Amino acid sequence: MSDDGLLTEFTATIELDRYEDIRAALFDPNLSRSFDKRSYEDGNIRSGIVSIAHGATHRARRRVENTQFRADVLRLYERELFPKVMNDLLDVLIDSERVDLFPIGELLSVVLAARRAGIEYDASSLDDLRTLVRHVDAFSQGAAILDAKDPAAVRALVREAYAEFERQFVRPAAATRGALIERLRRGETAEDELPHDILTVLLLHREDPHMELADDARIVREVATYLQGGTHTSAQTLVNALDLVFATGDAHPVIIGRIAEDTLFAQRVVQETLRLRPTTPKMKRRAEADTEIAGRRVPKDALVVLDIVAANQDPRLFGAQPDQFDPDRAIDASVQRWGLSFGGGPHQCPGRAVGGGFPVPADFHADADHVFGLVALELQAVARRGVRPDPSAAPERDMRTARFTRWLHYPVRFDASRGSALRT
Amino acid sequence: MTTAHVTVDPDLCIGSAECVRILPSGFQIDEARGVSVPQPPASSADVDVLADVVRSCPTGAVRVVDAHGNAL
Repeated sequence: MSDDGLLTEFTATIELDRYEDIRAALFDPNLSRSFDKRSYEDGNIRSGIVSIAHGATHRARRRVENTQFRADVLRLYERELFPKVMNDLLDVLIDSERVDLFPIGELLSVVLAARRAGIEYDASSLDDLRTLVRHVDAFSQGAAILDAKDPAAVRALVREAYAEFERQFVRPAAATRGALIERLRRGETAEDELPHDILTVLLLHREDPHMELADDARIVREVATYLQGGTHTSAQTLVNALDLVFATGDAHPVIIGRIAEDTLFAQRVVQETLRLRPTTPKMKRRAEADTEIAGRRVPKDALVVLDIVAANQDPRLFGAQPDQFDPDRAIDASVQRWGLSFGGGPHQCPGRAVGGGFPVPADFHADADHVFGLVALELQAVARRGVRPDPSAAPERDMRTARFTRWLHYPVRFDASRGSALRT
Repeated sequence: MTTAHVTVDPDLCIGSAECVRILPSGFQIDEARGVSVPQPPASSADVDVLADVVRSCPTGAVRVVDAHGNAL
């Protein structure tokens, strides 16, 4: 421990790789996501945000923010709003036979992520969307700073991105919402009339001391967290899904055909991708107090590393050849097709159903209320446009991070003859 | 009185508390774990209200099986 009370080194490092042990760790209230403030929190996207808050502050934030993930809104997004937005954007973005899929995935995902975050932007402006995606890239590097190869450069980049993001997107939105909240407090409007987004509920509840939101910068970071979480993971999952499909070699045209025809199959591809390529391959926790996990003593201030990739490939739970890509695989009834890729317990990703949808029914038959998730719709849309590998250009992984599931560029080709006419 | 079997999958629940909003007597958030836990009154609640709870859960975590063994 340093003079200023910050944790500078861990008392022990404990790595867990069994599914049951990791699940137990995720639900253990003694394990937090709070780390050394100088290397992890200060000056980057993690400072004071819900993802690393612990105890009363974390509970207060989640209680308020999770109300913005509503089933009726998910269905409205994926059945009405998103298909039109997505296809209009794809008409513009697939402007040649050869394109880079990763930025397209980000642009598709940022539209609704920005709406849920509650920032002021023009959804029809490619300039606005590209600026947001640029910020998301910076925030994503901040989110993965524990695995960054140059943390100082990341902190500088993220600080600059926050300043611009706040000025252009958050302050105008906060002014509009602040005025509406004033009207609510004067009894001139009802709470239901307020925008349904993260920024609005943060402003509405910021006076609750447990929220710890007196500092405007904290609100900016919280909104940025939701923008980044809703954009980056979806885009990476879209690209990883196609990478796994293309890796099947000669079988890939058949799989692309099935994706194009069957939305529930597209969703299984997405959930299988999430299992094999988790956004955070190794989650990290810190012991806030002495605890015990699966019979192992974990001392206070120990680093606990959760090997999600290993847990997601347990053959007892995910069947034979668990390292293979098989969207039709039968799984144990006690687990989800995405394994532990969204975490679990209090810090579970709240946007899981937005990107990945509801669990795929074991009999592969979806009822009328089923939510497929936005990434399945994106994957199906590009499949219907005849996406295929680009043999003349190699994909490029994001080498700024040790996380093997991140891409920077993913060149693909499309059939020039198959465009928006294939929409349904 | 009909009795339904009401469960919340803790691996799916994100604690959005939609179930608590619709049926306050039937569900409670376990703050330490961040998940909803069904309470005894849930099993005797009106079937239409329970169906609304199922449909409103943002993650598909709530399952209700009615007295005849049918999933709502």
